Amino acid sequence: MDKKIQKINYIYLLCYIFVPLMVVSAGFLLGYYLFHDGGVGAVVCFMGFPLVAILWWSFGGKLLYKQHCKKLIRELDERGFSRNQTFDGRGSTVVVDLNRGELALVFFWNPFDHYILPAKRIERAWVDDGAAGAGFLRGSSRVSFLFLIDGVKIRVDTFTSNKRWRMDSDYILTGISKADVMVDVLNQAKERSA
Amino acid sequence: MGLFRKMRSMLHDDWCSKCQSEMDVVHKQLYALPTQRVGQYRQQDDPAYYKKNLVPVEKKAQIPTGMYACGMHVYRCPQCGHRAVKLTVFLPVRDQEKTEQLLYFEDGEMDDFIWR
Repeated sequence: MDKKIQKINYIYLLCYIFVPLMVVSAGFLLGYYLFHDGGVGAVVCFMGFPLVAILWWSFGGKLLYKQHCKKLIRELDERGFSRNQTFDGRGSTVVVDLNRGELALVFFWNPFDHYILPAKRIERAWVDDGAAGAGFLRGSSRVSFLFLIDGVKIRVDTFTSNKRWRMDSDYILTGISKADVMVDVLNQAKERSA
Repeated sequence: MGLFRKMRSMLHDDWCSKCQSEMDVVHKQLYALPTQRVGQYRQQDDPAYYKKNLVPVEKKAQIPTGMYACGMHVYRCPQCGHRAVKLTVFLPVRDQEKTEQLLYFEDGEMDDFIWR
């Protein structure tokens, strides 16, 4: 319960990037030395290995993360944790039990670990609407809610875009509303936490 | 939200559909819609749904964060006596509103709810 939150498992992050690169390199080396004259082996080495790497980068990490989220949900249900509010953000999932005043966290870049904590450890929770610019250029491309636990800042996006939207656009308003709800829920859980 | 309805709302939502006269607002009420939450909105057109789920509130501040609201306007035409009810389903977000759906009931579908 009291372990320090680690948002990123750096070994996993490095493996996520470099292991597929090593697989691709190994494939190229094998293809070069063993199938220098072409053939099925060369196709497998030069195309199959890179394909595996691309599949990993495209789906592997997400699958691993989703599997861990499911495992966390199962564990929470076994513990009698009431899942009053669950938010799946890009890169992290937050589950809040308002009755017990607890929250559970799992991070994309640390999918082998999860955290179930008393909400009293939340120091502060707030909304960042990402507003920037002045006048008619004022807008945002990201809305998120943030909270501090033991000095670790956790940001969960409720809306992201590759373009800037006006602050009164439906996307931004929905993102702000979702973030406001989560901040309310986190504060309520904190109040009820023993 | 349909383009026609949106334009109608912006231009002449208080015009009588029978005689085109400007109608009077005879009743206004704000409601909370506890069954609809941000991120889980499902469009509803059935008046029975609204009769069952609308909870009257005095002001927007009473509506919890993330819960949808519904503004009701009851119109009556001074010329022909035709009545219409407009429901505006929206998400209150701080000092702004995200309008989700506009509904017009012109055949007395909401009468038993309004005048109960």
